[in-house]
Amino acid sequence: MTAATIFIVLGLVALILTIYLAKGHLSKGGDLEKLAIQLRPVDIGAFCNLISASEQEYLREHLPPREFRSIHRERMGAAVEYVRCAAHNASILMRLGEAARQHSDISVQEAGEKLLENGLRLRLYAIQVIPRLYVSMAFPQAGPTPDLLADTYDNMSRQVVTLNCLHFPTHGMSSAL
Amino acid sequence: MLFTSYYLWIAPHILLGAFLICLLRRRLQRQLPIFVGYVVFELVQFIVLFTIFLHTPYHPATYKWALVTGEGIDSILELGVIYELANELLLSRSALGLVLRPTLQAILALLLLGAAIGSGAFSGISVERVTNIFEMIDFSSNLIEAGMVLALFIFARALRVSWHSWIAGVALGFGVSASIALISAALRAEWGKRAFGAADLTLMAGFHVCVIIWLVSLFLSDRTPPFPDGKLKVSDLELWDQELQRMVQR
Repeated sequence: MTAATIFIVLGLVALILTIYLAKGHLSKGGDLEKLAIQLRPVDIGAFCNLISASEQEYLREHLPPREFRSIHRERMGAAVEYVRCAAHNASILMRLGEAARQHSDISVQEAGEKLLENGLRLRLYAIQVIPRLYVSMAFPQAGPTPDLLADTYDNMSRQVVTLNCLHFPTHGMSSAL
Repeated sequence: MLFTSYYLWIAPHILLGAFLICLLRRRLQRQLPIFVGYVVFELVQFIVLFTIFLHTPYHPATYKWALVTGEGIDSILELGVIYELANELLLSRSALGLVLRPTLQAILALLLLGAAIGSGAFSGISVERVTNIFEMIDFSSNLIEAGMVLALFIFARALRVSWHSWIAGVALGFGVSASIALISAALRAEWGKRAFGAADLTLMAGFHVCVIIWLVSLFLSDRTPPFPDGKLKVSDLELWDQELQRMVQR
C-alpha cells in the first residue's frame, strides 16, 4: 500500500468521523424539564464498598482464588456501571449549567458556570476511572489499583456533593418567583 | 467542465463574503477573532489571484507564487483558528485545561510527524519547485487541521461539552474541507498531473461545502435550551432537588 493510499483512507475516515461526531452539536437541544427524569440513581455508599481496598483484601483472604476472581470481576463490573451512571448524571447537570449561564441573573450565571465546571470534572474522572476498573477486572491479583480508585472516587464524590450544594442558589431564586 | 471550475472558484467566495457580513452584523467576531482574520484573508487572496488570472498577458509564475505565498499564510491562520476552537471548547475551562493541554500537544506532535513523513513521500510530485512547495504546505496543513478538528470533536463527545452551534459549524466546516483536501492532495500524489484537474475540483468542492456549513450553522438556533426563568415552577425545582438527593443517596 502506497503512502497516497494510506492518506486517502485516513482522509475518508476523518471525514466520516467528523460529520458523525458533529451531528450532535448542530442539532437542537432537548427540553430541560424532561432532563430530571433521565437522572439515574447512584448509591455512592455501595460504590465505595465495591472499590474499597480493605473489602477486596478481606475477600481475597477468605475466598478460594477462583471464587475470588469471579466475585471481583462482578464487583468491578458493577462499579463500572455506577461510574457510568454518575457520568451520565453529570452530563445532564451540565446541560442545566449551560442553560443557567444564559440567564439574566448574575448569581444564576455563576451557579451555572460552577455546575458546568464540576460536571466536566466528574466526567473527566469517570473517563480516568473506567479503564482502571477494567484493568482491575482483567487482573484481579494486580492489587494497587484500589488506592488510585479510592482517590479518584473521593474527588468524584466531592464533586457530586458540590453539585448538590450548587443547586440551592437556584432553588432560592425560584422560591422568589 | 470550465463552467464548473469557474463556479467552484467564484461561488464559495461570494458566499464567504455574505457569511462575513452576517458574522459582523451579529457582532460574533469577538468570539473567534482569528477565524474572522482568516475569512478576510481568504477573500483578499481570492481577489488577488482572480485579478492576476484576468490580467493580460497572464503570468503563470506570478500566479503560482502568489498561490504558494497565500497558502503559507492561510495555513498559519488555520492553525490559529484550530487553537482558537480548542481554547473555546476545552482549554478555557480550568477543569480540563490541565489534563487536555498535554494530550492535544501530543496529538499535534504526532500529526506533525505524519505530515513530515507524508511531505517526504509527496516531495517529488512535480518537476516544478513551486508546485512541490505548494503541495507540501497544502498536505501538511490539511493533515494537521483534519486531525486536530477530529480530536476536538472526540473530546467534546467524550466529555459531553457542547459548543454554540455556529462554532461547532466552523469546526465542522474546517474538518470537512481539510479531510477532502487531504484526499485531493493524496490523489495528486498518486496519479500526478493526470489527476490535477479532478483533484482541484474536489478541493474547491470541499471548500464550497465548508462555506455552506458555516452559513447554515450561523442561521441555526443555539443548541442550548433556554433556562426556564419565569415559567419555572417551584415543583420543577423540587423535582430536580429530589433527583439530586437520589443521586447522592448513601
